[in-house]
Amino acid sequence: MNDPGSGRLTRRGVIKGAVATGAAGIVAGTASAAPAATEASHTFVIAAPATPQSLDHEYDVSLGTIDAVGALYDNLLEYAKIPDPDAPEARREDIGVHSDKPYNLNLVGKLAEKWEVSTDGTVGRFTLRQGVKSNWGNEFTAEDVKWTWDRKLNLHGLGPFQTGVLNIFHEDQIKVDGRYVVSFHLPKPNPLLLKQMVNLSNPVYDQAKCKQETVDNDWAHKFLENNSAGFGPYEVAQLVRGQQAVYKGRADYYRGKPYMDTVIFKEVPTSATRLSLLQGGSVDIAQFLQPLEYVTLKRARGVAIDAVRASYAVWIELNAKMKPFDNVKVRQAMNYALPREETLKTVFQGLADKQTGCIPAIYPEFTDQFWQYDTDLAKAKALLDEAGFKNGFKSTLSYNAGDPVQEPVAILYQTSLRKIGVDIVLNKVPAATFYDFVTKREQPMIFYRDSPWVPDPGYSTKLYFHSKSYVDYSNYVNPEVDALITAGLETIDAAKRKEIYTKVQEIIMGEAPWGFIAWPRYVLARRADLKGFTYYTSNNLRFQDFYRGA
Amino acid sequence: MRPVPLTSPGGPTAPAGRRTLGAKVKFATRYFLRLLRTHPSYAAGYVIVTVVVLVAIAAPVIAPYSPITADPSVYLQSPSLAHPFGTDNTGMDVLSRVIYAPRIDLAIAVIGTAISAIIGTLLGAWVGYFQGTPGIRNIASGTTMRAADVLQAFPVFVFAIALVAVFGQSINSVIFAIAFVNIPIYLRLMRSQVLSIRRMRYVEAAFVSGMPDRFIIRDHIVPNAIGPVLAQLSVNIGWSILLTAGLSFVGAGVRAPTPEWGAMIATGFPNVMTGQWWPSVFPGLALAVTVYGFALIGTSIEFMADPRRRRTLAAAQVSA
Repeated sequence: MNDPGSGRLTRRGVIKGAVATGAAGIVAGTASAAPAATEASHTFVIAAPATPQSLDHEYDVSLGTIDAVGALYDNLLEYAKIPDPDAPEARREDIGVHSDKPYNLNLVGKLAEKWEVSTDGTVGRFTLRQGVKSNWGNEFTAEDVKWTWDRKLNLHGLGPFQTGVLNIFHEDQIKVDGRYVVSFHLPKPNPLLLKQMVNLSNPVYDQAKCKQETVDNDWAHKFLENNSAGFGPYEVAQLVRGQQAVYKGRADYYRGKPYMDTVIFKEVPTSATRLSLLQGGSVDIAQFLQPLEYVTLKRARGVAIDAVRASYAVWIELNAKMKPFDNVKVRQAMNYALPREETLKTVFQGLADKQTGCIPAIYPEFTDQFWQYDTDLAKAKALLDEAGFKNGFKSTLSYNAGDPVQEPVAILYQTSLRKIGVDIVLNKVPAATFYDFVTKREQPMIFYRDSPWVPDPGYSTKLYFHSKSYVDYSNYVNPEVDALITAGLETIDAAKRKEIYTKVQEIIMGEAPWGFIAWPRYVLARRADLKGFTYYTSNNLRFQDFYRGA
Repeated sequence: MRPVPLTSPGGPTAPAGRRTLGAKVKFATRYFLRLLRTHPSYAAGYVIVTVVVLVAIAAPVIAPYSPITADPSVYLQSPSLAHPFGTDNTGMDVLSRVIYAPRIDLAIAVIGTAISAIIGTLLGAWVGYFQGTPGIRNIASGTTMRAADVLQAFPVFVFAIALVAVFGQSINSVIFAIAFVNIPIYLRLMRSQVLSIRRMRYVEAAFVSGMPDRFIIRDHIVPNAIGPVLAQLSVNIGWSILLTAGLSFVGAGVRAPTPEWGAMIATGFPNVMTGQWWPSVFPGLALAVTVYGFALIGTSIEFMADPRRRRTLAAAQVSA
């Protein structure tokens, strides 16, 4: 294949052509279902690393699943959208603190038309939109909301955390006050109540259909793994795991049928193949390419790249319960030895920002005033000396074989640490067992990549730094931090919350339970005529946002 | 008293005349050189392997940079005078890593193959010698062969990955995996040889003279059956290098950033699509050439082990 725009045959062109030919075979299966993306303006083809393993988000947070959830289900509320400051054609949620708006949030009703929180912050009441139908034709009522939250309390997936952050532990805390009114009753004031109604993890199910499909008291889990029962703009037309998922736009969606009436979500495991498919015009979006591949695409014709600041972070868990990382000075030294600038330049190709804090920089109340860890090997060495490791030490850094970014970062870090006498063995862990390694918390150092979906400092810090959190993978324990996080999650007053979470960030940054590396940007590689990309803190696509333009 | 080993005038170990040791070495050397002259490709094989071995030994002297030190200031640089093979995605010098890699690849392949050859040969000799004889030894022989069948029923590569997964990612695990998957090859090879050799008259004579089985196996069976095993060694080393590289390519081999050809190819592979071909192409070439060299040596040994072709060449040598 020739380079686009030139008639010259090049070596690189031949290689790309060969890959594209193979890739064309991969998408050939979609040809019968839909014409090529460029011909079918209302058909939307996405090349993704994997199809959804399950459509029941309660038990699955994989990338394909969260894209599906955003299309099949709706929430009660959403944030208003604003232009993205970094990507001219992109939009993003307005998650800032707005003192001029109710509850300091710029919210828009979705399945809820009206909402109010009692002055003491313990009761949230939602008046629901009427006339909304599920993909099974059932009318949306308050019973659907109650069943959705009761399900969380009765299953043991994500639900207990989602209810726990609101201090909801009993079904009678969610009350049906009328056919279209539902209320949440919390024992203490909670600033997350409205934010949780936006959270992708809290979509509303069609309880009438789910009750029909419930088997052995499974709350329709088996049914929802392969089907949807929601009030979102799409329904599932086909799910063949390992091949593709097809979603059809709903003509009866209460906000009108989405522009893209057919979405083909194709599994293309190799990023190089996804790249070729996008360059060749066979797909509209190539998800999750390598940083260098994005850079390559910047020169390609007919392709556009949006790189927006995101809630993602990549860090190294420094196990605070294992020697020598139980010593704060060692953890600080490990941070001073991290070659961040070089990592951002070489590994992330500039598509990430320096992680200068313990909550995403885009979130309210973030501050980088406690950042102190710019690379300084002399300081790192001095801290090791003070900690009693004058001759350095040996340790192991585990990383995910399935994440191509982690190995080069690890190698750069290893080289840097060698200069201060720290010898680390790089332990490549298969993707299938990597998360087992993380959750067992038995590795001295292990990479992690995650994002707190709710744009709130309390939610973020409770997830990663509260000693009782199931995600406190660095085994970090500080009773003062625990108390502050809990206090902040019971405080409505914005100024007081700012004060609390500033203190939390100060302590955490000083004690450095992480090796702070980077905030990777959310990067979308798309055909240039595809418009409407909107960034969500849940880092997923919403197919309903997209349309074609000039 | 340990019996004196017998030799049979017509047997495979029969001396080729009453030559002195020096004369034998001289004849063998001339024979070998003639073989190389008449088959230049075999010579190329020996040259390739010799060069690779020398490069591996001299790596600390000839490599221009450390093979495990990243230098992000020069990442993904194309081949130049400073970096003749370019640099990889962390700025490590590809040439230096290519030079150091055979230390790992050859060591793993040679040790793994040697272990499998020793164990497989001994087992094969034992199984072949006792197969069909009455008693527990025959049952043990049959059981050993069925176990080998089971081992060989698994795809070798998948089996090797499973072994490395069980024993952890390390050089020792790779050596173990290579040795383990190769044992049945030598076992079968040796057994088939022994099955024919044990009927030879010189073996029967040793048996009749009261020589214990273990000495018959050691002094008469193994020396006469070892030829094909030796020929297989070289081919197997080449194959083991490929297996080592394959394991590293899929992430089940050596740990990063150990310089190893397969791991280097895997690391550089994603960059091919973005135009940086050098991190994977140069180690790929080195791997291909080395395996080719071992394959040529294997063919030459096979030639020398073939009595008919050997006699033809020897006759030509004498007449010359």
